[in-house]
Amino acid sequence: MRRLATKDQILEDAGYRYSFDRAVYVNRHARKAFSIEFVEDHTDEQIKARIDEHTGNGWKFYFNSDPSDSVKCELERVLG
Amino acid sequence: MAAVEDRLRAEYFELLPDMRRVVEELEAEVRHCLLPMSRGLERHEQLVVKSRVKECESAIDALRRDLHEGRTFGEGRTFDPEKADSYTLKNLTDLAGVRVLLFPRNHVAQANEELRGRFPSWILDPIRGYDEAKAYYGYCEASELVRGEIQIVPMLTGLFWEVEHAAIYKPSPRLVDLTRRPIMQQRVKEVLNALESFEDEFEKLIRAAELNDR
Repeated sequence: MRRLATKDQILEDAGYRYSFDRAVYVNRHARKAFSIEFVEDHTDEQIKARIDEHTGNGWKFYFNSDPSDSVKCELERVLG
Repeated sequence: MAAVEDRLRAEYFELLPDMRRVVEELEAEVRHCLLPMSRGLERHEQLVVKSRVKECESAIDALRRDLHEGRTFGEGRTFDPEKADSYTLKNLTDLAGVRVLLFPRNHVAQANEELRGRFPSWILDPIRGYDEAKAYYGYCEASELVRGEIQIVPMLTGLFWEVEHAAIYKPSPRLVDLTRRPIMQQRVKEVLNALESFEDEFEKLIRAAELNDR
């Protein structure tokens, strides 16, 4: 169980905040979001690698299933 | 996006009479099926049957989470605007639900066997993280639109869920995913372990007392 708690800490330390409405960890500055399902199903190392990953200017969603363009648009709208 | 939710709210109230009929029939069937088992329990043992119709906002939230077979597929908890017309509460499997609580938990297997015999075609729906609990869903005679769900759960676990529900989810349905956060999973696991130890110790003492009385 210690491993699970670490993931919360990793994300928090990297500036991510949990959104209750969307069940995602969000960093608006980095424009990245991790779904709770993705966090559950990936290791600490995989999550760290995604946090460090360089992405473009747009939002990057780390979901187990890639969201459709319309869902991405909706999420971008509400996440700001 | 609110349009999807408003349409689902209207659908909820159209389905409500069916939900009530299903829950009524299901509860009667479950009680009848488990009556022989219930009569055979010892004084310290319990079998409690509870039923409920899922609340409107909770139903909409469940559809947003797109839960199947214990897994959530609605990542981001967002209705897809391009599929707005495809969302229907009829896809939910637990609009009408009956829960059987058993103490001690070793009676779960027997209750499950009795009920599986009564509802053989119903589909198993594992509850993630709770291997001891059983759940399945299907249609009963009361409705062709609304499915019912039966859960068979160790009593202490079921009562813990009720505490969680009353304290957290009922006032704020959007917090339903809170306990999925890793740190909360750890705390939940600790609570469940404590309940299990409590029950094991209780059973041990009861058995010892029975031996002393002989």
